[in-house]
Amino acid sequence: MNKKRKSLREFFSNFYLVLILIFLYAPIMTMMVLSFNTSKSRTQWGGFTLSWYKQMLSDPNIISALYNTLLIAFVSALAACIIGTAAAIAINSMKPMTRTIVLGITNIPMLNADIVTGISLMLAFIAFGISLGFKTILISHITFNIPYVILSVMPKLKQTNKYTYEAALDLGAHPAYAFFKVVFPDIMPGVLSGFLLAFTMSLDDFIITHFTRGAGINTLSTLIYSQVRRGIQPSMYALSTVIFLVVLVLLLITNYRPKQKQAIPGMAGSNGAGSTSGSVSGTGSGNSSGGKFQKAAAAIAAVCIVLAVSWVTFMKYSVSSSDELYVYNWGEYIDEDVVSMFEEETGIKVTYDMFETNEEMYPVIDAGAVCYDVVCPSDYMIQKMIENDMLAEINFENIPNIDQINPVYMEMSQSFDPQNKYSVPYCWGTVGILYNTKRLEELGVDPPESWHDLWNPALSGEILMQDSVRDAFMVALKDLGYSMNTTNEAELQEAKQLLIDQKPLVQAYVIDQVRDKMIGGEAAVGVIYSGEMLYIQEEVENLGLDYSLEYVVPREGTNLWLDSWVIPANAPNKENAEKWINFLCRPEIALRNFEYITYPTPNQGAFELLDQELQENKAIFPDLDSLENSEVYRYLGDEEDAVYNALWKEVKSK
Amino acid sequence: MNQPLIDLQHISKSFDGTMVLDDLNLTVKENSFVTLLGPSGCGKTTTLRIIGGFESPDTGKVVFDGQDITNLPPNKRQLNTVFQKYALFTHMTIAENIAFGLKIKNKPKTYIDDKIKYALKLVNLDGYENRSVDSLSGGQQQRIAIARAIVNEPRLLLLDEPLGALDLKLRQDMQYELIRLKNELGITFVYVTHDQEEALTMSDTIVVMNQGYIQQMGTPENIYNEPENAFVADFIGDSNIVPGTMIRDELVEIFGARFACVDKGFGNNKPVDVVIRPEDIDLVEPGQGTLPGVVTHLIFKGVHYEMEVTTPDGFEWLVHSTDLFPVGKKVDIHVDPFDIQIMNKPASEDEEAIGVNE
Repeated sequence: MNKKRKSLREFFSNFYLVLILIFLYAPIMTMMVLSFNTSKSRTQWGGFTLSWYKQMLSDPNIISALYNTLLIAFVSALAACIIGTAAAIAINSMKPMTRTIVLGITNIPMLNADIVTGISLMLAFIAFGISLGFKTILISHITFNIPYVILSVMPKLKQTNKYTYEAALDLGAHPAYAFFKVVFPDIMPGVLSGFLLAFTMSLDDFIITHFTRGAGINTLSTLIYSQVRRGIQPSMYALSTVIFLVVLVLLLITNYRPKQKQAIPGMAGSNGAGSTSGSVSGTGSGNSSGGKFQKAAAAIAAVCIVLAVSWVTFMKYSVSSSDELYVYNWGEYIDEDVVSMFEEETGIKVTYDMFETNEEMYPVIDAGAVCYDVVCPSDYMIQKMIENDMLAEINFENIPNIDQINPVYMEMSQSFDPQNKYSVPYCWGTVGILYNTKRLEELGVDPPESWHDLWNPALSGEILMQDSVRDAFMVALKDLGYSMNTTNEAELQEAKQLLIDQKPLVQAYVIDQVRDKMIGGEAAVGVIYSGEMLYIQEEVENLGLDYSLEYVVPREGTNLWLDSWVIPANAPNKENAEKWINFLCRPEIALRNFEYITYPTPNQGAFELLDQELQENKAIFPDLDSLENSEVYRYLGDEEDAVYNALWKEVKSK
Repeated sequence: MNQPLIDLQHISKSFDGTMVLDDLNLTVKENSFVTLLGPSGCGKTTTLRIIGGFESPDTGKVVFDGQDITNLPPNKRQLNTVFQKYALFTHMTIAENIAFGLKIKNKPKTYIDDKIKYALKLVNLDGYENRSVDSLSGGQQQRIAIARAIVNEPRLLLLDEPLGALDLKLRQDMQYELIRLKNELGITFVYVTHDQEEALTMSDTIVVMNQGYIQQMGTPENIYNEPENAFVADFIGDSNIVPGTMIRDELVEIFGARFACVDKGFGNNKPVDVVIRPEDIDLVEPGQGTLPGVVTHLIFKGVHYEMEVTTPDGFEWLVHSTDLFPVGKKVDIHVDPFDIQIMNKPASEDEEAIGVNE
């Protein structure tokens, strides 16, 4: 009886443990599994492959970001360790009252929201005329890491017998010798855990890096984030997997070492008390081996400092060439060979940076922290930038290749750039309905032709809607025959009611999961941006699925979007920017980019070079006639944005 | 023996506006065992730290063997310190701890090894070379701290309450060990303690300090038997300190009763303080003594009884005696003339604290 109960209890405690482990590690396991998935899809298993790992190793962007990340993490942690330990020693020797105040002050940056720290650092750098770059990231990381080091060294210092330092002096030791020989070994575990903490904080950081980095420098976090728009590449899963495993191994090693040490009698007692991090306490209490370890660590540290200093100097001098161009583009939005071809041909050195959203790009240009020469925003954002005098007029005499752009798109551009003075179209696309032919057949529903088909009760639970204000309202407004840029209160109310009526039929409001869910056959219809149709169709083919996905632009018209090149008013190298735009308008270059990006190109010359099959693929190049009722998003102003948001909130909360 | 080794001249030191030492003058002779004794905050540790070089005086000079070392950093001074909480290097073995100072002086390895053996033998811890600090008891750690200091053959050893953290029995054992060490090594000891018994047991010279001033300096017997003021009398052992009047030389009046004494030169009819040790009071049958009283309190203390005798004026006399007088018994107080110690009354609190030098 008793035994039974005991085994039952044991079972439940084990069960609970397993649950916790699953809860903690299932996401990471998912990522690791996906890193071996042949398919890019997040829901379909396409077979085992190591190609993402190969791609990761051969991608110079990833390798350079990895190098930056590790270098910044290591150097900033090391510098923070030196500064923080010195600060902790100074603070420890203060009078209690002053000590409390100073400790409070040094702790505040840790509690501060990262975004506040990031913005204030960026403003400080600009105010002091320090151009953003590698060194500003490094300085920022050192800055936010110092409090963590102080925090982990302080308790060790308090624990230390303050007379040991004096005892060493008394025995004839020089102050520096006394510090390194006597005080430092005592606080070593604290310094080490401070270092690891700082290292991890630095690795982790996105927000502060984002605000303080300059043109052309990425860490892993900023690189991954810049890929959000086009979907994170599986090579990033591979990289994350590698990082996870490395950290795991490091953790195992640091935890394994002290256990051996603690076998020495009497050692455990002195180590256990008050040590901040169990995993590193005990390191440094070893005798001769501890000394060797310290020497090795010191040597590595010295080499790294030298490397870092030379790297920083190198960066500083290599940037000072006069023929350069700063490009700010969406992530994964150019064939990288095109950049090197441009550099080779013109001798201009290109510094290439990526952003994720229009909203993120805007303040960077606005603050003037980094001066870009040429940027690629979307329609409504270009309008906003024109209205705020942030763009320079383009001298089209320098862009003879402009005649390769189909005039239709120049006309389209006029909705946000009325006189075609500021922008040159780069990519365009539509929003339409993606549908699963087989599924619709099973449901007995005809393929959709109208937005209204999304209100068909037979599709209950089979509809995926876009989870963004303007896109959702576009669907409803177009269905009602209104402009998707309307500011008419009555029209908007009507659209709102329509969306509320649709809600019971909708399976989910999502953004880029529409792609994966549709490939996975989870829904019959979904509202989607046309950009990745080529990829979707290829994927369905590769996976050998027994259904096909088709794309249609509803007859009521849709959102036509355009990403165009513009030149900021504060661009330092305007002529080079025009050379860049002209280069990209060259048909064979535009073709290369199309093949890489697969988004529809407005370049007529490039279009004509395509296979006929592609030219006729309506999913990629819809008939321009069918776009008669389509519009381009306009920037409506902050007040109108607020009205839209309020209505959307009503829809979502019903 | 007679050469002055340390000479502190007009040393003053204050922390945050609080005067800790005020114009202190002190000479320590070669090969002596000098104890700085006083309550906490009296300035004894500060004095020691100034000698050691861990604090620098605001004014005054520290002279070591004829040389001014006031501004010499601690690592350049020919002396060593044994700290209150041992201050051993916990990440080193015992041998490494002891060798610390010798390695800095670049002594050859064989010399160092010999010294370690010798020092460990001296403190009765042979064979402890490779033990870790944490595996030793408090007493053993303190002996290692002493060994670590003495291997450097300092001319002066400073000890800052070295036995403070030990229990009573161990403390007594260590007192004997320290005396033995001092005699074997011939090093000058300056010892700081607040424990009067420790001071009396070990020292050649005791320096009683209070509020930054030296109150009295002398041999243990001298300090105990002839305290120069009420503070010393009260601090060293138990005392009855009563107001009296010096009628003339060798006669003092206490609470209306006249006692013969041996002190002279205080003048006639002069108010004074009178110190009488509790063990110097003889209780006798009523009518046989000088001052009548009643036993009001009695405690058995082992070696003796501790009694309180209240005299008609209301003063409670502390009396130590091997004879038992029950509570309520009427007795007379008798004191032999040489057991009465007369002290000048302090005119003000300042005067009470005035330093008394040799």
